[in-house]
Amino acid sequence: MNESLPPSPRSLERRSSAQRLSQTRPDPSLEHVLDVDKVSIEIRGKLIVDNVSFWIPKGEFLCLAGPNGAGKSTLLKAIMGLIPISAGTIKIAGTDDVASGHHKIGYVPQRKAFDRDFPARAVDLIVAALRRKWPIRITAEERDKARAVLAKIGGERLLDKPLAGLSGGETQRVFLARALITEPSLIILDEPTAGVDARGRAELLELMVSISRSDELAAILVTHNLGVVAKTAERIVYLEAGKLLCWGLPQELLGQESLTALAGFQGADHFAATPDEE
Amino acid sequence: MNWIFEPMSFDFMQRALIAGLAVAAVCAVIGVFIVQRGLAFLGDGLAHAAFGGIAVGLYLGASVEHAVWIAIPFTAAIALGIGFVLRQTTLRGDVATGVFFSFSFALGVLFLGLRKASDRQIDVESLLFGNMLAVAPEVLHVVVAVAVIALVITVLLWSRIAYSIFDPELAAISGVPVAVLEYLLLAQTACVVVVSVKTVGVVLVSSFVIIPAATARLIGSTLARTTVVAVVIGMLGSAIGLFASYHLNTPTAATIILIYCLGFGSAIVVSRLRR
Repeated sequence: MNESLPPSPRSLERRSSAQRLSQTRPDPSLEHVLDVDKVSIEIRGKLIVDNVSFWIPKGEFLCLAGPNGAGKSTLLKAIMGLIPISAGTIKIAGTDDVASGHHKIGYVPQRKAFDRDFPARAVDLIVAALRRKWPIRITAEERDKARAVLAKIGGERLLDKPLAGLSGGETQRVFLARALITEPSLIILDEPTAGVDARGRAELLELMVSISRSDELAAILVTHNLGVVAKTAERIVYLEAGKLLCWGLPQELLGQESLTALAGFQGADHFAATPDEE
Repeated sequence: MNWIFEPMSFDFMQRALIAGLAVAAVCAVIGVFIVQRGLAFLGDGLAHAAFGGIAVGLYLGASVEHAVWIAIPFTAAIALGIGFVLRQTTLRGDVATGVFFSFSFALGVLFLGLRKASDRQIDVESLLFGNMLAVAPEVLHVVVAVAVIALVITVLLWSRIAYSIFDPELAAISGVPVAVLEYLLLAQTACVVVVSVKTVGVVLVSSFVIIPAATARLIGSTLARTTVVAVVIGMLGSAIGLFASYHLNTPTAATIILIYCLGFGSAIVVSRLRR
């Protein structure tokens, strides 16, 4: 027996407004990298994600937006195979086999989401992603691969640096290298610029977008920051209370009128920069 | 060299050295993971759980030597209980350990109190503080067997356990069975702690788990090096402490732990000077 809160009148009004917005979907003839089809996720009897469907073509940079509690993180976890889905299917590069599909995902977590006190160097973390276990000794070939991927994102000098000594921006570069070394089809960026200073944040976002374009790598960026969405998104999926509210192009969803309809722009706290992103 | 050879002419010293080295090596390897996982209090908690298990065994009529076979599953169950609480609630490791530690220690005191006056006498002091010099041959066999099995399992799974301790989420995405490894590490720690209690006592066993690992953490630059350094510190401190206690006529486990603390203090000084 699942339970979900009844939608508020304001929420119903927003859903109705969103339906009136023009929402351009990707060209169906393009190669699908991720297919989320009628996915529902229930945790301890509570419906967190409700019948959500969208897909990402090769090379598209998609922003997954929505207020706190919208179900973004839960959906990401399901895409990465960390929690089961209650209904629907998730296919990565055409397969819904978790074991093989998730080899094709690169993941950059929030900076705060790991133990900075762990005695490790950047190279250890990057090679761990390659081996799928923590390395005891690193071969010359693995080291060269790690160096090459770091060089690609302008972080070659970080190779042997201890993780504990890295700045926020440097740490996220290492995590980006870690995500890229397995040559994924899809990269998931879970609020990757939280806790990074303004300059580092701009550089990092530019880097992620340019890699997605140059490598034709599909990306999902989860963020609360409207400025970040406007700068990076090729398409936006907006969730609210576990439901997909709209899925379209930034120019369709980020205009003043659309924003007012979607989130009541003046009071849209989830679109404002969070303190550590200021 | 006579400082070493003379005590080694005694059988009890040979057994104490082997038991000390085995306990030190396995506690150090496991200790690196335990410390890194933020569960430094776990060794202490499980040692007190072992006391509870031994007390249950004694109440059921087993001798101190045989009560260990009841203490092993009892302590492993407590360790799995701690793991379950850690995974299913937002409580910190020290809180979960503290609750189980209190429960099992209270249970131990209760069962010791329930024993009849006519039951065989037990030396509670020896149980609490251990006596490395009194390790019986059959106890030594159990200590070495458990240490070797735990070392082999840990070495085989080291890379996967290390990855899951660095970041459980990233490890799970890479296909590492994080929950299974965590429960295995906890159950294994329980077995090691129970047999170590037989040699170094309930009160002091956690020092073998924590201090070499914490010292190595101050020196090691990678987790693999930290583990090797912890094993070297653990075994060296154990051997030096044993010989020192023989010549100074001091309690063995306590002397070893004071040597460990000396090493920890030196490592802090070295790490400060390196900066």
